[in-house]
Formats: sequence, C-alpha cells, structure tokens
Amino acid sequence: MKFCRASSVNEALAYLGEWGADGYLLAGSTDIMPQYNSGDVAPSALIHIEGIESLSLITINERTSIGALVSHSRLAADKEIVARHPALAKAASLVGGWQTQAVGTVGGNICNASPAADLAPPLLIADAQVTLVSTSGERQLTLDDFFAGRRQTARRSDELLTTIELEPLPNGSAEVYVKLGRRGAMDVAIVGLAVRLALGENGKIANARVAVCAVAPKPMRLPKVEAALTGLPLEAVELAAVGKTLVAAISPIDDNRATASYRKRVLPGLLQQAVCQCAEEIQK
Amino acid sequence: MTGSNAMSDEQSVPISCQVNGRNHQLNVRPEESLLSMLRERLSLKGTKEGCLEGECGACTVLVDDLPVDSCLYFAAAADGKSIRTIESLHAEEGELSPLQQAFLDHGAVQCGFCTPGFVMTLTALLEQKKAPSRTEIEAALAGNICRCTGYRQIFDAVFAVEKTE
Repeated sequence: MKFCRASSVNEALAYLGEWGADGYLLAGSTDIMPQYNSGDVAPSALIHIEGIESLSLITINERTSIGALVSHSRLAADKEIVARHPALAKAASLVGGWQTQAVGTVGGNICNASPAADLAPPLLIADAQVTLVSTSGERQLTLDDFFAGRRQTARRSDELLTTIELEPLPNGSAEVYVKLGRRGAMDVAIVGLAVRLALGENGKIANARVAVCAVAPKPMRLPKVEAALTGLPLEAVELAAVGKTLVAAISPIDDNRATASYRKRVLPGLLQQAVCQCAEEIQK
Repeated sequence: MTGSNAMSDEQSVPISCQVNGRNHQLNVRPEESLLSMLRERLSLKGTKEGCLEGECGACTVLVDDLPVDSCLYFAAAADGKSIRTIESLHAEEGELSPLQQAFLDHGAVQCGFCTPGFVMTLTALLEQKKAPSRTEIEAALAGNICRCTGYRQIFDAVFAVEKTE
C-alpha cells in the first residue's frame, strides 16, 4: 500500500486518476482505519487529503457552503452553523466522542454512507447538494441522489467531494435532530430523526421536512410523512395517523443494536418528541 | 523490524513531526498507526492500546492540541503535526502536572490502564476552558472508558484542578 499526500484538489484528482477505485481518500481516518484493520477494505493507496485548505472552509451566503474537510467539532461549535443549522450542529456533537469529532469530517461521514450516519438527516432536511469534482469537470447532486444504498454512493472513483451546500433555517421555522442510542454517549444511532417545521399564520404547519437514519439501507427524506404533517395544527399535533405513515415508510433491519420491530415502535415517539421540540423553539 | 526489505523501503513514508517538543524525522509504514509509531519506534509506552477501534480512548494523544485516538490515526498523517503524549506532562524533575497530581490526590486511578487517555483528553479540555462544567466534562469524556468505574473520582480531580488554578 502507498500513502499519497495531496495538498490541493488537483493533486488529489491526479492521485485518483492514478489509482482509481483502489485509491482510498483519507481525511480523519476514523472510519477507514477499523475497516482496514479488519480486512474489510484493502486499498492499494491511501490518498491523504486533510491538508487541502480550500476544503476546510465554511462560507455563508444565501446558502451555506461547507467544505468536505470541516470537522464535526467545528460544525458543533461554529456560531453560524449553530444559528443556521441547529440540527446539524446537534448531530455533529453526537457522533462518537471528542476524539472522533476532532478529526472526523462531514465529507467522510457522508462518503462513508453508513445507514446510521448522524449528519445525514439534518443535511437532508436542509436540501443538501454535494459538489463532485473530477478532471473532466464538476457536477452537483442532491444528497438524496448521492446516497445510493448501504455504504454506497454515486461518487465515481475519479471524483472528489468538495463541498456541501445547504439551505439555512428560514425565519419562523425550527429544526431538531433527535437520536436514540444505548447509553447517551459514543452511540451508533439505533434511530436518528431530523425534523424542520415552518409555522403558517394560522398556527398550522406550513411546511415539514423529515429525514431519518438507521431505519433503511440509506438515510432518507420521508415525503409522505412530510405531507401528512403539513396542515396539522402545531399545538397538540395528533400524531397517531402520521405515526402509521412513518412506520410504513421505513424498512429497518434487526442488528446488534436493536430489532426492526423495536425501531418501528420507537420511531413514532421520536417524531412526537421532535415535533414538540420544534414547536417550543418556534414559540420562543 | 520495519524497513528490513526493499519493498517496505520503497513504500515507507518519510515524515517530520514534533513529539513532546522534540523534532523527529521518521520513515513509517503506510499502514502504521500513530499509536504503534509512538510505542514501538519512540518507546513512549505511556499511551495504551485498548480496543483498536476508537471506542475506549486509552490511546488518546494530542495532535495539534486536540485529542485523537492514536490507534485510528495514521502515523503518515502526523507529518507536520505536533504530538503530545502523557510523557510530556510532568516536569523534567518529575513533578506531575496539576491534573496528574489531582488524579493521585483523589484516587482517580484504579488499574491505571485508561488513565493516560483520560489525562490527555482532560488536559486538552482544561487548555480550552479553565473551569468546565460537569456537562462539558461529560461531553469531553464520552470517548474515554474506565472499566474500574472510577468516573466519580475523575470528576473530583478535574474540579480540584479548577479550584487551585
């Protein structure tokens, strides 16, 4: 195995051109090292991109642009992210421990494409778009299209994910990320749920965005649940019917963290919790 | 040892880094962890190997002042970085850091295997924040596990350092 150090996007692309699918991009390395040690991956080359400064930026315009190399610690602490993307900041603070958050990156979290990726639901409710760059040009994909399946993405082996663009929380809206784990620290999510709600003038939910992780092969938005929430009164939302829609929209599995039926039982309660938290935020 | 045949010479990665204030030029294997580099090449055995998957925090060291699990960190990625291990904390004459002394005073060490990791994470925390709250300490320590269940004494030690400083 070779260790290649890229200090610019062009250098990284050159290495990707050289190694193709046998070259693994490496930033914080918190995901790849255990996979390498267990023999799950056997790359011919590691392409270390942590030093590419242009990918470590957070740029605030109408939309929020986050470089792929921004760490979880920075997402959790950055004032603009906390204000514009509170669910994302919260989720970043719940990924592993400080040691993981200090070096683990947002680009790594989504390129690794774990079904339980904590950052995915809050990114999905912000209509995240990712930019992929290769020597033949660049393209943008919605995060939803980027996730292709369990640990699979639409990234071609010659492409580098450079930035993630987000739509910030509008005025009069609120968003939260709620996560169920086993002990409240260092958890891989049993279920993760992000909700963004906008309140209409009539006290009803004018717009709802809902995304989940760890209940399907890939993190995903739930359009039917969003439609079912829209138009409901924000105070005392009657969630029984919405809960059924929610359970019908997911396809959880049994694994060493929880059973599928457990996940189906707890998710409606988490939605209730998330909606209540959003209502409290909006009324502040 | 490493570098003993042509193949590994060809693939070895030259790095330059600072460890506990001293500059080192090393040739590391591409797959070598920072933990292995510290323990096997530099004989810094204070950093412990626990789970090897980023769950336990026993191998925590500071890289550019931030705590990282050295078992998950490639040695080659440490090029240009400043690394601090538990061996960096005491003074030349052997005097312990205030946090280390507080660990002793409060019985925050039982079997001791997790202790270097805890001390390094808390050193980073106290450098960032003079008087962290209980919640902040809890959040900082999420990635450090003590199986002797000595957490209470560890918290007592941190609060004692806050008071003396």
